[in-house]
Amino acid sequence: MNRRQRLWVLLLGLAGVAALLVAAAFRLPTFGSDFHPYGDRAVHEALARHTANAIAAVNFDQRAFDTLGEESILFGAVLGTVVLLRQARDEHQVTPAPARVAAPVRRYALVLLPVTLVTGLYIVAHGQLTPGGGFQGGVVAATALHLLYIAVDYRALERIRPLGLFEVGDAVGEAAYLITGAAGLLAGTAYLTNALPLGTLDSLASGGTVPLLNAAIGMEVACAVVVLLARFLDQAVEIEEEGDRS
Amino acid sequence: MNHLLPLVIVTPLLGAALLVAAGRFVPRPAAEALACALAAATAALALHLLLHAPSPVIDWLGAWTPRNGHSVGIVLHADRLALGTAALVSLLVLAVLVYSWRYFDEPPRKHAGSFPALVLLFQAGMCGFVLTGDLFNAFVFFELMGVVAYALTGYRVEAAKAVQGGLTFGVVNSLGAYAMLMGVGLLYARTGELAMRHIGAALDARGAPDALVLAAFVLLLTGLLVKAAAVPFHFWLPDAHAVAPTPVCMLLSGVMVELGVYGTARIYWTIFSGPGGIPPETVAHTLLTFGVLSAAVGALMCWYQRHIKRLLAFSTVAHTGLFLIGLALLAPEATGGTALYLIGHAGVKAALFACAGILLDRYGSIDEYALHGRARELRLTAACFTAGGLALAGLPPFGTALGKAVTEEAAGPWLTALFVLVSAVTGGAVLRVAARVFGGHGTPPAAGEERETSGEGERPETEQQLTRVPATMLAVPGVLLVGALLAGVLPALHSAVGSAADEAAPGVTVALTPPHWSAPGILLGLLSAAVAAGLAVLAVRRPQHTRSRHWLDPLRLLHSGHIGDYVAWTLAGTTLLGALALTGLL
Repeated sequence: MNRRQRLWVLLLGLAGVAALLVAAAFRLPTFGSDFHPYGDRAVHEALARHTANAIAAVNFDQRAFDTLGEESILFGAVLGTVVLLRQARDEHQVTPAPARVAAPVRRYALVLLPVTLVTGLYIVAHGQLTPGGGFQGGVVAATALHLLYIAVDYRALERIRPLGLFEVGDAVGEAAYLITGAAGLLAGTAYLTNALPLGTLDSLASGGTVPLLNAAIGMEVACAVVVLLARFLDQAVEIEEEGDRS
Repeated sequence: MNHLLPLVIVTPLLGAALLVAAGRFVPRPAAEALACALAAATAALALHLLLHAPSPVIDWLGAWTPRNGHSVGIVLHADRLALGTAALVSLLVLAVLVYSWRYFDEPPRKHAGSFPALVLLFQAGMCGFVLTGDLFNAFVFFELMGVVAYALTGYRVEAAKAVQGGLTFGVVNSLGAYAMLMGVGLLYARTGELAMRHIGAALDARGAPDALVLAAFVLLLTGLLVKAAAVPFHFWLPDAHAVAPTPVCMLLSGVMVELGVYGTARIYWTIFSGPGGIPPETVAHTLLTFGVLSAAVGALMCWYQRHIKRLLAFSTVAHTGLFLIGLALLAPEATGGTALYLIGHAGVKAALFACAGILLDRYGSIDEYALHGRARELRLTAACFTAGGLALAGLPPFGTALGKAVTEEAAGPWLTALFVLVSAVTGGAVLRVAARVFGGHGTPPAAGEERETSGEGERPETEQQLTRVPATMLAVPGVLLVGALLAGVLPALHSAVGSAADEAAPGVTVALTPPHWSAPGILLGLLSAAVAAGLAVLAVRRPQHTRSRHWLDPLRLLHSGHIGDYVAWTLAGTTLLGALALTGLL
């Protein structure tokens, strides 16, 4: 199709979809109404399970199986990236040359690195209490390592980032979630049942399996993000096609 | 025993994690053996639950069983249709893993386990999608199988077109997934429920459908029909199949695309078939329109391909159209027939792709013209490919033929004619390829200006161009064809499939006669096989001349490979879906 025809088909499609969505939007419950059947039940159950952060209770207890699927999507996406961004036959690796880093940038990034790492771990560990959890904290922790790339250079990052270990960590995080879920089966009840002691509401050791699953996700996400970024950075910094070098 | 149900999903996931963790330390055969063992274990578990657990197997994960009719948890709701589909998926995954035993030149360095791990994740996604009774959870697994399939499609990164095919697949399917997610959101906003049965009950309690229910139906169906590659949502499919590694094509065409049809059936039956849903006549004419369109476009495009994998891909579009028609009849007999057709098709289509893969790896080409007469020596492959073509056309006693015959019986004369034509044309195209490539019949066509995608200049997917075909690569299509044959001749299987379909579809109370052979059915099957053979003979005999213009050119040119075109058509398809559904409500 030429541009004109494509535009017409697109406009027709967009008009139809827009009409559909607008018509549906007028039939949605009005904003600010008190009709929240699932929300009410979920909060009630979260408190019954001593989980202060109701979102974490939904993600890691009530609908923990969804989270398992989402974790697997991330796992599959990272594995797919590893496969797709592998060094192909017609590519070769070069050692990147270090670049000069301005002193203030270097100092600031180096100070921030441990702070970011601790923040990430904190967010994972307090997932059952406050906003955050494994997904968010994992990303923050993974970001911390990459401050070294900004502060020093790519080779410094590579030294503290043994990729093989992080790939194993990614898989171990995924497996830990699956196996924690299977504990329910061993106890003779359903998969992913929250069968651990529930602890005291609003303390670190509360929510039963919620903190454990959070930790598994945190590990998987942190490792996955490191591997993911490494693959893209390698592609940008280290891998060249044959004949690229002039 | 119900608590074992999630293990059908968890086992392959755990296998994938193990393969990634251990893939750096173990040699390739060990990694692949582990993957095969886990796929087989999953299949065994699904079959065990299918045969020995009282149906339906219901498991509330996390033990969140409903209180006062409500739950905050996720339910797996596996009737026999779901378990049977999960078993079919798992068996095909096993076949694919065995087929790829000697496949792929270089597993990514230090990642021997990555291909089998991706395949296991794919299996988990498909099984999860089939078994879940929760709408949002179905979306999650829909996404899982999508993400893994995009990566598997682009697996051979050396070729730019592999990446392009994977990207097209990813963009169009993601668009479908967004539509589906919006549909889930609308239903959740209306009912506050996510379990499909609870949503259906809540809609029915509210009364007649309105714009929101209609929009939710259209959006959910958009996502599923993109996956099912119904015209005009189908453009991603031939592009992806042309570039994906052959074992991946076997899974995409054999089961994944069909899961779009399965999902459509499941969502209609469970959510929208009550008084608060969409009226059956509306659903029928909507699905019928898309089915007829897909069958016609798929068959026409299939006939005019010379790239063998693209040809098989378009035949999948055509057959998915036939499955949609079978579903659109909303008759229990037709549903049972369609289920049987789908089982037979999975075996046949996967076997045909497996044969195409042998050609590619032996001769470094997948082009009907370039391969003319070159594969005379591959007798067994030729036999499998020809048998596959006949089975695709509907030759009794293959399962495809029985499924088709039973569906035709419920469909009436006009649709029967369409079924016969479409299966004859797609089967005929395969037979034509067989006659030229394996038999060397007809004159080799002169080189000329062609608008079709040629299949030359492809790289074999194995380490070196094969000098002889490994036993595993040949055994798999053989076993798959035997499976498709058994699906046609085992009365026990027929009655099981029939009663599973009756159980899954709503409103079937009396026990119906299971799918069985009838005289008209056998004759129609023989007729379409004969027409297919006739078409193939005519095509091979006819002198080849390259024409600069062809009446089908406008349709061909729509398959441009331009992602923008495909996105525009996807949106236009949603509009068509909406218009069809709306006319039924007014």
